[in-house]
Amino acid sequence: MSPHLLCILIPLLPLLGFVVNGLGFRKVPTSLVGIVGLAGPVLAFLCVCLLWGNFHAGNDAVIKTTLFDWISVGEMHINFSFQIDQLTMLMLGIVTGIGSLIHLYSIGYMNHDEGYGKFMAFLNLFLFFMLLLVLGSNFVIMFIGWEGVGLCSYLLIGFWNTNTSYNNAARKAFVMNRIGDLGFLLGIFTIMTTFGSVEYTDVFEQVVGMDVNAPVILTITLLLFVGAMGKSAQIPLFTWLPDAMAGPTPVSALIHAATMVTAGIYMVVRANVLFSMAPLTLDIIGGIAIATALLAASIGLLQNDIKKVLAYSTVSQLGYMFLGLGAAAYTAGMFHVITHAFFKALLFLGAGSVIHAMSNEQDIRNMGGLRKSLPITYWTFLVGTIAIAGIPPFAGFFSKDEILAHVYEHSKVLWALGLLGSAMTSFYMFRLLFLTFFGEFRGTDEQKHHLHESPLSMTLPLLVLAVLSVVGGFMNVPEVLGGHSVLAEFMSPLFDQARQANPALFEANALDHGTELMLMSISAGVAIVMAVVAYVMYVRNAAVPAPDSQVRSLPQQVVYGKYYIDDFYDRLIVRPVRGLGDAFYSLGEFVIDAVVGGVAWSVRSSAGVFRRAQSGSIGLYVLLMVLSITLFIALRFFNWKVFN
Amino acid sequence: MEGFFMAFYRMGWHRTAANYVRFIANLRSFLSLLSMNTASYLPSDYIPIFIQLSLALGFIVVTMLVTHNIGPKRHSVKKDDPFECGIPTQGDARAPISIKYFLVAILFVLFDVEVIFMYPWAVNFMQLGQEGFIQMVLFMGLLLAGFYYVIRKGVLKWE
Amino acid sequence: MTFQTYDCLQMLPIILLSLSGIALLFLGFQKSRALLLPATLLFLVIAFVANFLDWGKTYMYFRDMLLVNNLAMIFTGVVLLSTFMVVSLSGSLADDEDAQPAEYYAILLFSLVGAIMMIGFENLIMLFVGVEILSVAMYILTGSDKRNLRSNEAALKYFLMGAFATGILLFGIALLYGATGSFVLSGIGNYAHSATNAGGSMLLFYVGMFMLLIGMLFKVSAAPFHFWTPDVYDGAPSLFTAYMSTVVKTAGFAALLRILSVSFSGVYDFWWVAMAVVTVLTLLIGNITAVYQASFKRMMAYSSISHAGYLLIGLVGLSQASKPAIAFYSLAYSLSTIAAFGVLMLVARNRPLNAAVFGDQTTLARTDEHYDAFNGLARKNPLLGFVMAVSMLSLAGIPLTAGFWGKFMVFSAAADRGAVWLLVVAVLMSAVGIYYYFRVVIAMYFREGQTDTIRVAPFYRIVLIAATVLTLALGLLPNLFQGLI
Repeated sequence: MSPHLLCILIPLLPLLGFVVNGLGFRKVPTSLVGIVGLAGPVLAFLCVCLLWGNFHAGNDAVIKTTLFDWISVGEMHINFSFQIDQLTMLMLGIVTGIGSLIHLYSIGYMNHDEGYGKFMAFLNLFLFFMLLLVLGSNFVIMFIGWEGVGLCSYLLIGFWNTNTSYNNAARKAFVMNRIGDLGFLLGIFTIMTTFGSVEYTDVFEQVVGMDVNAPVILTITLLLFVGAMGKSAQIPLFTWLPDAMAGPTPVSALIHAATMVTAGIYMVVRANVLFSMAPLTLDIIGGIAIATALLAASIGLLQNDIKKVLAYSTVSQLGYMFLGLGAAAYTAGMFHVITHAFFKALLFLGAGSVIHAMSNEQDIRNMGGLRKSLPITYWTFLVGTIAIAGIPPFAGFFSKDEILAHVYEHSKVLWALGLLGSAMTSFYMFRLLFLTFFGEFRGTDEQKHHLHESPLSMTLPLLVLAVLSVVGGFMNVPEVLGGHSVLAEFMSPLFDQARQANPALFEANALDHGTELMLMSISAGVAIVMAVVAYVMYVRNAAVPAPDSQVRSLPQQVVYGKYYIDDFYDRLIVRPVRGLGDAFYSLGEFVIDAVVGGVAWSVRSSAGVFRRAQSGSIGLYVLLMVLSITLFIALRFFNWKVFN
Repeated sequence: MEGFFMAFYRMGWHRTAANYVRFIANLRSFLSLLSMNTASYLPSDYIPIFIQLSLALGFIVVTMLVTHNIGPKRHSVKKDDPFECGIPTQGDARAPISIKYFLVAILFVLFDVEVIFMYPWAVNFMQLGQEGFIQMVLFMGLLLAGFYYVIRKGVLKWE
Repeated sequence: MTFQTYDCLQMLPIILLSLSGIALLFLGFQKSRALLLPATLLFLVIAFVANFLDWGKTYMYFRDMLLVNNLAMIFTGVVLLSTFMVVSLSGSLADDEDAQPAEYYAILLFSLVGAIMMIGFENLIMLFVGVEILSVAMYILTGSDKRNLRSNEAALKYFLMGAFATGILLFGIALLYGATGSFVLSGIGNYAHSATNAGGSMLLFYVGMFMLLIGMLFKVSAAPFHFWTPDVYDGAPSLFTAYMSTVVKTAGFAALLRILSVSFSGVYDFWWVAMAVVTVLTLLIGNITAVYQASFKRMMAYSSISHAGYLLIGLVGLSQASKPAIAFYSLAYSLSTIAAFGVLMLVARNRPLNAAVFGDQTTLARTDEHYDAFNGLARKNPLLGFVMAVSMLSLAGIPLTAGFWGKFMVFSAAADRGAVWLLVVAVLMSAVGIYYYFRVVIAMYFREGQTDTIRVAPFYRIVLIAATVLTLALGLLPNLFQGLI
């Protein structure tokens, strides 16, 4: 098949699934819902594989497909077109591949739910928008996808919409994303006015000749990064992501871990030419990223909800990715996106399997000892934990280490902070693992009786993802360890323009092999030490986190209360805005009522005149017509003053 | 008239007056334009038309006056009654009439007028040649199709 | 003259439609009426295909009487599509004892011939013939509900007023001929150019132009020549109201566009203010009076007046851009209007209560066409609710519907001419429009009402869905259509 057809088919297939399951909700039989819902992503994945073959056969040349001229306003033409390059191929692989696995998992996880068909339809729709986001060849298409995935995220977080707090979580996610989107949109507008185009290739070509840190580039990149903050949950717009765990677990795995939240990283890598021209912005990104990574990791230390721990871990890992981008290590950032997609999806799906077995219990204080009754879940979860903790030779080690190595080149302080975050990650992940799967069972008898391993449709994705989490890191083994940095070489053409535009940023001050090995062993050592600490605390000493009612020491209280950031936002922003809204409302009610009332009154009185003319009598009609004709001709021909 | 308006003007009503003057001027240009277009004809060329017109009008007026005046006038109830074929009148003159009358009348007009097209064609039959013939056949075909439709529809059935 | 120059054979749609109209008349003699509807649709499809055979070429037909170019084909396509949809909504005619579907369909096809003439005329005689063919057909169809007094009244009113307007139109044509010595559009245009340059009085020409324009403005129901519209649209059967408010309007605007752009563009400065005044009046009267209607159908009549106003904006901002703008607007407006009337007919037909309780429906105000009839419709009939909602949104010009882009294009054509005050009025009036269009949506979705599930014939349903999908598709991808022109 031609690459053009494939490009069209890839997003179209999930959309088809959405249409069938969405329009046929409650009409399509349950057995068919799963097949239809799964067919879209799987076929899209096959198309991606074929496309990869095409792409490879064309010597990795960029493929562009224009579907149609979409918007033309004056000189501005925005095409509905797709662009296939290395970055797109990677993202397509992740989205459709992991998407397929999670769809498969959802069939097992959701098929007893009343809204099963709706759920599959929304997932398919999400996939469609996500594919649009990564396929688009200009910022506007990306924005459509960007908004679309936000919408789907909203719909799926509030999927169980009979629960008010879930709805509030969905609303929070939506509002926070809107704030980011506004920044993104303003960035796009600035791009439009500056470059007269939104097409990636056009924009980047023009950027190359500009000054480094030019104000307009700084403005654009900062605005774009505001968008990324919202979507990828960075300080200060990160609080929605933990709340988003209200959605069904496959949603958390697909949208809030593997794909959508990495859209911000994708966007920065996509616009790497712009960001490379604005080192100042990169520094700001690096600062925000490390703060996010540490803050989220520290909150994760004391959380007791299995999904909340993973959520904070996601925020923290996203911080790592941005940390890499901040050091202009775009490849490392993308590498972490990929490996993180593997192991975080695995962990979430594993958590889903646990929750499934525990009859919707999410508190790890009520779990324990599950490794006997859930062997597959346990082993895969263990793999995921090792991977995220950064213990070699699992996937997380390679990607995290590459980021840290680049950060070390950039700033040693940042590196030390990153290492601290890595230590915390290792600790809270092993804490989670031990509390869930080791020790004695702490739940009710009824739950104990009900414990069971999940069906094959759920365990199969776990196994596949576990394998990927083990071997995923080998796609970019650094030269120190005898690898060839395959991924870096593959992605290298993406950064040609950036190198050309701002060579200073990429000047090689590469670490010597000794330092590199030392850094690796330090971070691996820290991870292992923290794992042992966690083992001692939670397995050897069998400590169980205190119930909520117990009094905590002040620092613990602050961390357990998530640094009171939510309350802070509530006091600083939500309540004042609401107060302002109330004030405007009462004032507006008066003023606007007066205006509206006045308009209505004048409309009504003029309508009265018009209606009286419409009496139904032909004589009157003809008279009025003749009068107006006479008037027109008289005014036009015998008194020039009226009209001219 | 002119003097009257000049007085108006002096009294400060110049706006009205000015408009009026402009109106007159425009009217004049309108009229002159009408005559301009027909400039190739002299007024004397219209004399025959006027003669014809006055003769026609005169005939009507004269006959009306004469017939009213030369006969004797005797009024009676019976005589002033509307006269309808010797039968006493019944009801209102605006009584509904069967739609068939109108249909027949309109069909008559229709087909009668259509036939007129055949005269010029018949006169120029040779010159119009094959193409003219085909056009006429088409025309007659459509006409006869309509005629057939009218008959099938039962318009001419009088029951 | 030989057979090679028999150019009329290429003028397929007109000939095909005339012949198929006659064929339908004879098909009406068949006992069964089942064949009529599919046959009409088939004829329309054939005409539609034949229309686009000459795509990309420009021809003069009948000794320079008719012009066929891409724009004319687009307009013809729009009226054919509208007719197709209207006819496909007419399934109930076959069950109506009093109805004469064969004749109605034949008249519709004949009237289309008139519409196509109005779209492509190059000679004012053709314009007149086209207007008359279309109008006379409309007089008949307006009165086709023979047992209904209101329908009869509407037909008579329409006929009287229409005849009056035709007189004015003819007067205008005569004066123009007197002034220019030509019936041909380009000839008149040449005269306008040369006479303006030469100076001197052109009063006869201008008066003729005004008369002609007024005659045409009457046909498209622009204020203050709109008085017939509410009464006629309200009185006519809904099916034919849908036809009138779409096909007649499209053809009328195509004709206006043609004559203004070819003949009168040289004297733009002379007529544009007058046209702008008509536009403002039309917008004001159409929108404001529509607010206070209790009957949905009557609201649609005023809405059609207001849309004439928006289309007039495109004419006031006459430029190359206004051609595709008006074509697009006509299409968007036709789709939504027909879909809305389609739903109205279903709703009205499913409320037999009035006739049963009050007996004589001839004197009764048709409450089954009021807003109240739509109360709670969407609950039991989500499809109908959705179709209606999309139509209303499109008519109100809400983004993501075709109506939005129609308004956008028309407005930007006028903005290029700098007629800002006109746009201010237009935008204000669109805001007023939202009020009355949303009343239906509110009634359907938020009011309580006892509506049962309405049975919709499959084909009827397909047409409604197609209109809705097309409305949304054009709203999302306006360039799909724009690319054609």
